[in-house]
Amino acid sequence: MSRQAARTGDPRKVNGELFTLTYGALVAQLMKDYENDDEVNKQLEKMGYNIGVRIIEDFLARANSGRCNDFRDVADVISKVAFKMYLGITPVVSNWSPAGDEFSLLLENNPLTDFVELPEGHDSLNYSNILCGVLKGALEMIQMDVDVKFVQDHLKGDNITEVRLKFIKRLEDAVPVGED
Amino acid sequence: MSNMAVCVAVIAKENYPLFIKTTPTDNELQFYYTVHTSLDVVEEKISSVGKNANDLRELYLGLLYPTEDYKVYGYVTNTKVKFVVVVESSNTSLRDNEIRTMFKRLHGAYVDMLSNPFYNPGENIVSRKFENVVMGMMKQD
Amino acid sequence: MADEVPFEFLHMELVAHIHNTSTKEENDTCIAKLESLGYRVGLSLIERFTKDCSRFKDELDMMKFICKDFWNLVYKKQIDNLRTNHQGVYVLQDNKFRFLTQLSNGKQYMEAAPKYLAFPCGLIRGALCSLGINCIVTAEVSAMPACKFQIQIQRL
Repeated sequence: MSRQAARTGDPRKVNGELFTLTYGALVAQLMKDYENDDEVNKQLEKMGYNIGVRIIEDFLARANSGRCNDFRDVADVISKVAFKMYLGITPVVSNWSPAGDEFSLLLENNPLTDFVELPEGHDSLNYSNILCGVLKGALEMIQMDVDVKFVQDHLKGDNITEVRLKFIKRLEDAVPVGED
Repeated sequence: MSNMAVCVAVIAKENYPLFIKTTPTDNELQFYYTVHTSLDVVEEKISSVGKNANDLRELYLGLLYPTEDYKVYGYVTNTKVKFVVVVESSNTSLRDNEIRTMFKRLHGAYVDMLSNPFYNPGENIVSRKFENVVMGMMKQD
Repeated sequence: MADEVPFEFLHMELVAHIHNTSTKEENDTCIAKLESLGYRVGLSLIERFTKDCSRFKDELDMMKFICKDFWNLVYKKQIDNLRTNHQGVYVLQDNKFRFLTQLSNGKQYMEAAPKYLAFPCGLIRGALCSLGINCIVTAEVSAMPACKFQIQIQRL
């Protein structure tokens, strides 16, 4: 066993770094490939969607979280189980709409953005937009059409990172729209 | 915490500066020259490492050389990035341990800076976070 | 604690995206793009992994670090076999390469394997170049999920 291994860190934490760095390389590459931030945001969401429709199976197999009866249950499972399992964080669920069809996830820290310093002139880039796609894709596979978007981002100088989820409608026996 | 450096520099593996910060002075050029000169000493020290079986092979190189007014310290990472810290000779209270700590912090800050996906390796370092760490080590007038 | 699943899904989508968005380009350009992404990540990882290490003695010391510590940290296991011809070529064998275990065994999936090995080749090349070893890294799969990484040192 190498003497250096003991000092180079916890392998599980390092996995997080591999993920964070790879995601960063992806975003940086997309910014070179596409003209504007909106296009990059769209690509990130699309990629996230493709991940979401697949990762849901992994989640359901491992989470053992039981049936969700309503949107509130979904919110709890997303924040306490899904985020915890995959990203090691537990966002706070808050800002429920009176009708109970909209809520926010407040992320105090976001592993995707560790070490990231946004360059000047990219105010409309939603760096972590892949998360929106993942949530949308995953929820679609359990028959929910949900709109997901970032409303605050600490990378842009906001105090907190806030993702807003809005329930649109239930999907009956739906096939996901166009997997690319 | 030690904030006694009058000059902090980060030099790329190819021996050109990625970052130099000095305390406000009319003679900034002199610091650039000092840093440049220190690179020869750094090369000497690294190539002599390993010839002695007792070598610790530390990244910290210690005092590179003293000038009349300054003491120049060096540190080289395994990826051949060099850090140079210059302090005033008159600063006798500064211990070796404190200097090591400065380099460790500098190294940590450099690693974090490199992890920023928008930094292109080999470019000038313009990261605000990195600069803040350096400012925290520099002598405040 | 971060889970390894997000990375696996991200990597698979990354490979799919790069190939889907280059219909006119050759397969080679996609491989090169993935490799260069891996390279950049490798640079950052090696800097962090070696931050608290003492100075490496020589090239062999560095190769051992890659085979043991680096591989362990990134792939949760060590390289199974390291061979060298002592003339600048190293062959690293991993009998159960993590990236390949998600692809099913079977000859038809072997064609797809190079796409998934481009990023890891870049990781290794980025790590080694950063340590001062300029090289070319290629990979080949003879029987899933085992693969061999070949490192050709480029001496100037």
